[in-house]
Amino acid sequence: MDLSQYAELFLAESREHLSACNQLLLEWERAPASPVPVGGLFRAVHTVKGMAATMGYARVTDVAHRTENLLDLLRRGSQPATDDLLQLLFRARDSLEQAVELSVVGREDEIDAAEILADLDGAAAALAGPGGRPAPAPGPAPAVEAPAVAGRLVQVTLRSEAPLKGGRALLVLKKAQALGPVRNVTPSETAFESDDFDGRFSFRIETTAPAADVERVVRAAGDVEHLTVGGEERRAPSPGAAPGAAQAPDAKSRHIRVDLRRLDGLMDLIGELVTARGRLNELAAQRRDPAVDDVAIQISRLSTELQAEIIQARMTPVWQVFDRFPRLVRDLARELGKQVAFRVEGKEIELDRAILDELGDPLLHLLRNAVDHGIEAPAERRSRGKKPEGEIVLAAVRERASVVISVSDDGRGIARAKILERAKRDGVVDPHAEALSDDQLLRVLARPGFSTAESVTSVSGRGVGIDVAMTRIRALGGSIDIRSQEGKGTTFVLRLPVTLAIVRALIAGVGAERYALPLTYVSETVEFGVQATTTVEGREAIVLRDRVVPLVHLRRLLGVTGDAPSRCPIIVLEMGDRRSGIVVDGMLGQQEIVVKGFDAPQGTLPVFSGATIMGDGIPALILDAGGLL
Amino acid sequence: MSHTVLVCDDAIFMRTMISDILGQAGFEIVGEAETGSQAVEKYKQLKPDLVTMDIVMPDMGGIDAVREIVKHDPDAKILMCSAMGQQALVVEAIQAGAKDFVVKPFQPSRVLEAVQRVLG
Repeated sequence: MDLSQYAELFLAESREHLSACNQLLLEWERAPASPVPVGGLFRAVHTVKGMAATMGYARVTDVAHRTENLLDLLRRGSQPATDDLLQLLFRARDSLEQAVELSVVGREDEIDAAEILADLDGAAAALAGPGGRPAPAPGPAPAVEAPAVAGRLVQVTLRSEAPLKGGRALLVLKKAQALGPVRNVTPSETAFESDDFDGRFSFRIETTAPAADVERVVRAAGDVEHLTVGGEERRAPSPGAAPGAAQAPDAKSRHIRVDLRRLDGLMDLIGELVTARGRLNELAAQRRDPAVDDVAIQISRLSTELQAEIIQARMTPVWQVFDRFPRLVRDLARELGKQVAFRVEGKEIELDRAILDELGDPLLHLLRNAVDHGIEAPAERRSRGKKPEGEIVLAAVRERASVVISVSDDGRGIARAKILERAKRDGVVDPHAEALSDDQLLRVLARPGFSTAESVTSVSGRGVGIDVAMTRIRALGGSIDIRSQEGKGTTFVLRLPVTLAIVRALIAGVGAERYALPLTYVSETVEFGVQATTTVEGREAIVLRDRVVPLVHLRRLLGVTGDAPSRCPIIVLEMGDRRSGIVVDGMLGQQEIVVKGFDAPQGTLPVFSGATIMGDGIPALILDAGGLL
Repeated sequence: MSHTVLVCDDAIFMRTMISDILGQAGFEIVGEAETGSQAVEKYKQLKPDLVTMDIVMPDMGGIDAVREIVKHDPDAKILMCSAMGQQALVVEAIQAGAKDFVVKPFQPSRVLEAVQRVLG
């Protein structure tokens, strides 16, 4: 049978189980005497083994099998996990993961598992010890019958290639029992439980049935190579007479799995439908024909529902990415000699798969920073009157049309004085500035190549990280904020749209062009020319309910010639604590836009996040709220 | 009328493969279960002609599920799905009332043979 069709499923499910292994190992490490994790670990590894064997991945099967052996010994012995054993199991899990990944892409020969296999076997041998499980006694050859017992003597030899012969032998006995009482089973039934049982056995059956019936019944148990009943010998027909898989087309199944690419394709189509819907609505508005209006309204409703269904199908809970972090944080903390309690909140919050897939690396950077630069060494923490174990929290919360993900630590916070010095030298802030706001701090940290780490560790401090994370998040239409208090800790807050593909946007006109501004970050609109403007730190601004909102004239920013209308709207953007007022020529309404990827030409202002096709078929650029703030 | 089957395994991979093998051979997969207790519950509800049962599952294992199902329906036709090295468990499952077993990795022909024997 063609196994390649199952490879993706194998990979996805193996990854899930291996991820679960990480969680269970961490749990076990925290509570070494708990009997719960080892059971779960055993099942997870066992499942991977079964799947890998089916796929024909011998090396994965081998690593899984030996890991399972060790786990089985631990489970039966109900021994608490020692640190050495846990480290070994962590390594075994990692080897298994690597073996799975390589096998699926056809690079099985690159798997080097010799060392981990030897270590697993060594540990298993040490656990079993000289007084460990006794090797099962080899099954004795079928004995010659004791003549005192009545009935027909049946001697059976199972096919040499038959798996689990003991189980098969027991099935033979069960079948035979239907004809009459079975006695004198040789070797005894307990030998059937041993892996050394060679498939030869005999028994007596007290029955009036003719020999042919006994033979038929015994053969019906399957895998019988050779059989004698009551002294009369018959040879088995040649093997290989297995019934082929009959073709029947009417198989029903209630579950289907869908390739992610299909879902992407569907999303693209829906995007085009939404664009066409926009055109239809415009045409309907021009026609003023009630019948056309009705159809347009109906199509609007249907496409909205369709779109919601597809977006829902794309939604993925964040744990699919978060679940790999506990192990990572633990490993980092160990490597760096830190003590860290890591907590994850809001695992069930959902995000569009496309966004979630992009989040792994930025979050990893932030968590690395938290462990490496945030959390102090235990001794330092004690001397500051903190508990030696630092805390890092990764949390997801849904906030209207966005998801907020935060990474907080209770570590040393960012030393602003040091950064300020550096920022002045680099000309990021005014040389007379006396303090850095959180915003300025972030701007400094996010400069490519910026690093305050005194030593470059293997973990972080190479001057990449915040800028990489920020670029990624901005590309997704999101933002990053920072809050840091010296001595108390640092929190990074990531805001992300729930879905990338279709967003509601405000359409603004500047000159002859239209621009789309995703509503996610629009807090309100006010009118320029009515509102009094002022100047704060050399920038034009308005004061809105006692808060200063700096203005950005889109006309000037984009280099549009000609005069702006004397009164024009200001779109107020808000992202976390930051606000900005975007002055445009006019507002053209709200609509759903389909976000298309956008490769900005060289030299383009970094204020566009993508493009969209408007209802009339003319493209418009999408403004990046993060870039305008 | 085609025979109905309840497929019990904690791995979707395995359930899919078994469902494919049996589905292509004309069986009707009427249900799937991921745990032993689900298997028992669905058996009572669906009354399938055949059950394929994994041995190692979370919550309630396959062998306990066999015991529960047989207690409820002594004629239940249960095919165990085991792995190499599970001799003792297979023996236990048969004593508990399983009618036959197949061993992973599955070969479709062997699975169908075993199913024929069970439904015999």
